[in-house]
Amino acid sequence: MKKIIVVFVLFLSVKSISQNKQILYNFTSVPQSLLTNPGSDVKYNWYFGIPLLSGISTNVGSSGFSAYDLFADNGVDFNVKLRNVVFSTTRKDRVVLNEQIELFNGGFKIAGDQGDSYVSFGMYQEFDFMSYVPKDIAILALDGNRDYLGKVFNLGDLSVKAEMLSVFHLGFHKKINEKLILGARGKIYSSIYNANSTSNSGYIYTIPSTQGVYEQMIYSDLQLNTSGIAKYDDEDYEPNAVKDITKRAFLGGNLGLGFDAGLTYYPKKNIQLTASVIDLGFIKHTKEVESLTFKGAYKYEGVIPKFSSGNSAENGYQEFKDAIPLDTLYADYTTWRPTKFNTSIQFSFEEEVSEDCNCLNYDPETIYKSAVGAQLFVMSTPRTPLVAFTTYYRRKIFNSLQMKATYTIDSYSYKNIGLGLSSMFGPVNFYVLADNLLEYKDVTKANSLSFQLGLNVIFKNSKK
Amino acid sequence: MKLRAVHRILGVLILILFSSSCASDLDYNQVYDIKLEPVFIANLAYFDIPADEFVTGGMEHTVITDAPTVDVFNDKFFRDNLKRVDLFFEVNNTINRGYRIDLVFLDRNNQPVHSTNFTVLAYTGVENIVTKTEVFENATLDLLKRTTKITFTLTMFAGPPLNENSTGSLKLRSGVTAYFVVE
Repeated sequence: MKKIIVVFVLFLSVKSISQNKQILYNFTSVPQSLLTNPGSDVKYNWYFGIPLLSGISTNVGSSGFSAYDLFADNGVDFNVKLRNVVFSTTRKDRVVLNEQIELFNGGFKIAGDQGDSYVSFGMYQEFDFMSYVPKDIAILALDGNRDYLGKVFNLGDLSVKAEMLSVFHLGFHKKINEKLILGARGKIYSSIYNANSTSNSGYIYTIPSTQGVYEQMIYSDLQLNTSGIAKYDDEDYEPNAVKDITKRAFLGGNLGLGFDAGLTYYPKKNIQLTASVIDLGFIKHTKEVESLTFKGAYKYEGVIPKFSSGNSAENGYQEFKDAIPLDTLYADYTTWRPTKFNTSIQFSFEEEVSEDCNCLNYDPETIYKSAVGAQLFVMSTPRTPLVAFTTYYRRKIFNSLQMKATYTIDSYSYKNIGLGLSSMFGPVNFYVLADNLLEYKDVTKANSLSFQLGLNVIFKNSKK
Repeated sequence: MKLRAVHRILGVLILILFSSSCASDLDYNQVYDIKLEPVFIANLAYFDIPADEFVTGGMEHTVITDAPTVDVFNDKFFRDNLKRVDLFFEVNNTINRGYRIDLVFLDRNNQPVHSTNFTVLAYTGVENIVTKTEVFENATLDLLKRTTKITFTLTMFAGPPLNENSTGSLKLRSGVTAYFVVE
């Protein structure tokens, strides 16, 4: 029991934000921006990422509370802090963690008469975790039901998912004409493990009654689906997690398909519109699946002696366990990837007539020194979609240094300032992007942080 | 020249970011201090016996009994984490005869571990309610946790004869308040 509580609390304590990569999006001097929009207007001849170092990205965030609130080493009893966190959050507050590491990544240009085409490919590993604060269930665990006569506890507050997967992708983009670039990317997901309990419902209530002392009702429709985890529960199994993960990462896991699409459009030379949809896809879980269900309804009246027969067979507790049994199922299931939608508008200014003018080229990064813009990010979640709005300023400081500063408003924070820098030392591109810079004064009190960095080798137009 | 400047700016910015950032001390081992103290309420038992059930074919049943299973206190989670139990009883008699209600808590070997009883007077037109709250802690709680069955025995006292048309009922409501400490 204690173990379960500890695991539960640790889950709660993982901080996280969404997968909004507002600094990377459309920051085309970084090749990884192609992963946020396959139709990005990139301008390289070819590039490859330094394996394992080309793209390291983490997002952690929690709305409603921070790691400091729960784990501060300040002498306050942990149970007091836990209560404060539970009672100050709502069922809409959530904890999200996302991590991505590119194993390899590359791309090259195919020159064409009509316009250049571009192929990019790679593999990355990703971990996603998301949990809403299961507020009502936490209140039941902390306080019980005595002080909550008449309250309907919502079992649907339980919504949690975790997944580790690897993704193989191949993208293609084409410059249709001087104003329009279209791109698409196909993805194969190989799920290493998945645990998913997001479509729960149910309630528990206790109200005073004239028949019996209380009227108590429990209706439960809870289900936890897992894949790739069940065998670690088996005592006879000697775990070899490294071997298992490697095998499943390379297409030996539960497989799925996904699709990204995006575009860049220049209605005027200095105005740019972009849009992309990322991870429109699913994973079919068929291997090592195990689901736990806790489904049923029961009105608990206590024991009712049957004096007329004299031998009552009634047993309320057993009846309850029979009415809402804990069952294990082994049925296939499908999960949908969190789908992300990005769109942006950008105005460029400070035209720069460079000596190597490529005047047919609309790339704002080479002919405009500065740009301002706005971006919108929407991500699907088990409940209402997550929305973030960003305004940004982009500036070419030198030919070899690009900067993007962002200001983002979302449900985690209204003062999220981010900064990205991308530099070229010869062919070596180094980028570092970080948001919530104001929170760095004490990271433990931050509600969300994201960090991305990487190293690439880029060869631009050799005409230079 | 420019490269060096870029280098310097990048270096300074990264330095500013990390040197100006700080982190308060966190102690994740605190999760092991977790102590949950929920208090749950639930029904324990209920009956409502109309007067005519004490009569069959003109013959009165002066003693009736039943022994339903009540093994919830015997459950492992309850045995490990239950620290106190309050049992609340309320008897409401609207029959014009007095009753004695005996509850005997039995363990799995049918040995009594606890007993309680209520005496309620005959109904005379005014509300006739008897209540009692019993608190179980420590030794008495350990006995309660051995309970697997409760014998309910109703004994009717002498009085005006009942028949199939007699009115009123003998009603018992009983609730549990269970205090847990989970660490």
